[in-house]
Amino acid sequence: MASLLDVDGLVKVFGAVRAVDGASFAVEANTITALIGPNGSGKTTLFNVITGYLRPDHGRVRFADRDVTGHDAGKLYRRGLSRTFQQARVFPQLSVQENLVVAGGYDWRQLFGRRISRADRERAGHLLDEFRLAGVADLLAAELSYGQRKLLEFAAVLMSEPRLVLLDEPTAGVNPVLIETMERHIRERHAAGITFLIVEHDMSFVMRLCDPVIVLDRGRQIFAGPPSEVQTNPLVLDAYLGA
Amino acid sequence: MRGASAARGVAFFGLLACLPAFNLAHWVLNMLVFTLMYAVMSSAWNLVGGFAGYPSLGHAAFFGLGAYAVALWFQHHSIHSGYEPFWMLPLVGLLGAAVGLPIAAIAMRTRADVFAIVTITLLFVAQTLAFNLRSITEGAQGLAIGPAPFAVRTFERPFYYVLLGLLAVTMGLTFASMRSKIGLSLASVRGDEDKARGIGVRVTGVKLLAFSVSVGLTAMVGGIWAYYEGFIYPQFAIDPLITIAIVLMTFLGGRATLWGPILGALVLEIAQQWFAYSFGGSKFYLIAYALVFLVVMLLLPRGIVPSIEDWMRRRRRRQSVDAVEPTLAASRSLAKGSV
Repeated sequence: MASLLDVDGLVKVFGAVRAVDGASFAVEANTITALIGPNGSGKTTLFNVITGYLRPDHGRVRFADRDVTGHDAGKLYRRGLSRTFQQARVFPQLSVQENLVVAGGYDWRQLFGRRISRADRERAGHLLDEFRLAGVADLLAAELSYGQRKLLEFAAVLMSEPRLVLLDEPTAGVNPVLIETMERHIRERHAAGITFLIVEHDMSFVMRLCDPVIVLDRGRQIFAGPPSEVQTNPLVLDAYLGA
Repeated sequence: MRGASAARGVAFFGLLACLPAFNLAHWVLNMLVFTLMYAVMSSAWNLVGGFAGYPSLGHAAFFGLGAYAVALWFQHHSIHSGYEPFWMLPLVGLLGAAVGLPIAAIAMRTRADVFAIVTITLLFVAQTLAFNLRSITEGAQGLAIGPAPFAVRTFERPFYYVLLGLLAVTMGLTFASMRSKIGLSLASVRGDEDKARGIGVRVTGVKLLAFSVSVGLTAMVGGIWAYYEGFIYPQFAIDPLITIAIVLMTFLGGRATLWGPILGALVLEIAQQWFAYSFGGSKFYLIAYALVFLVVMLLLPRGIVPSIEDWMRRRRRRQSVDAVEPTLAASRSLAKGSV
């Protein structure tokens, strides 16, 4: 059986910079895969191309046995491929509950339905409880702390019951307690059948949580394997420390 | 909460419906007719400029479209009864919406300031067409519809009530969108459109819907205006000042609120007329008009309604805190007393 996500020879060029330069890798279903690499190695660009925010110049992306290269981000989201951003992106002028409801992936007819239906309230309520945001459900997202916003963004992309979630630096800029919370949520959701692809700089977080680990350097994959081998691989050391 | 907003609506429309019964002077009724026109247009603009966050400066082009549609129709058809042009209005609205759809599909690929420039260009294109397509529009000579056959004593009433009805429709549509997922989707577009698209919000659909409905309503006001005036000239039918007025009114009252644009239209239109009246023919009234706007923007930068809502929200929260922690409240008032 094919992998859940297959990236084949992806290239994305910005002017003279080849941000992604022939990246190929696969994410197997039911894994928590890490994508690491030095700054500027093209991780976020790769995320943007996979999730439909950017069109690749070359290469293909396959998701759940379907070619989705260049598909619209919203379409991919409704198919079960969702993501979070490095700088948490929530809607500041909407309430916490509305931030969840708006991510429900509605079809046309539902647009004319109630802003927050009873079913929405129920669905959002489970996530609010799970992420301990029930107490702030009616606050505006603008009133949350940065860490809470990261949790909210994570909770919101789960509204569509995704198969694969891409997390872009889930622990950046949040306190140690929240890092543990984040880790717990990822583990719980992983146990419930969601596959994760995580970009992260916090190596102890990656080593605890992820298997396998994919290492990217200058826009292409240089290593893929279990976390125990990453730290001893000469190519990886070379990329991080410079030759 | 729902009861209160319904009561507010009934009181507002009830009061406005009674006003003409007070035998007001013609100049007052004329002012009210224009105030209602601007209230409808600001409220309609709010759907795009407020809720979706797309500051269109081209709405006057659609006002002109509606005005010319009505004027042109009655070049070739005679008016049998005074109310006949009003029955055309839904068609004028559909025409405006239909023309608006492809324009929105192109213009709404741009955002914010670029969108504003693209739409104001549209306004000037429309104006140039009105001046130069002489075979259709008669150019600068304008088009005459002829005075509406209503009794002089109550001349303004039909226009007033039709506009009041249209205002009710516009506010009804606004309210319905706020209560539905359309409003929620528009709010997400306003907040962060790329993120909204990425979480499956029907971004393009709701944007186009908001724009078409908005310009359709604006075209209907244009049609009423043309009939009210009895003649139209291109420089007044497609006038940048109309665009500026409705944008200012919505900003003043508060974008993306139900009552903001209506409040803004009441304040600014009445202020402008009053200043024009008291400063006579000189242009000083324009300066006074600008001053009102500057003062309000300085004190309430987000507009009147959001500022009041914020203040009430803060007050409610303080009260609820006080209720929960009476000792804290007591110590706070003690501390205040001792200072």
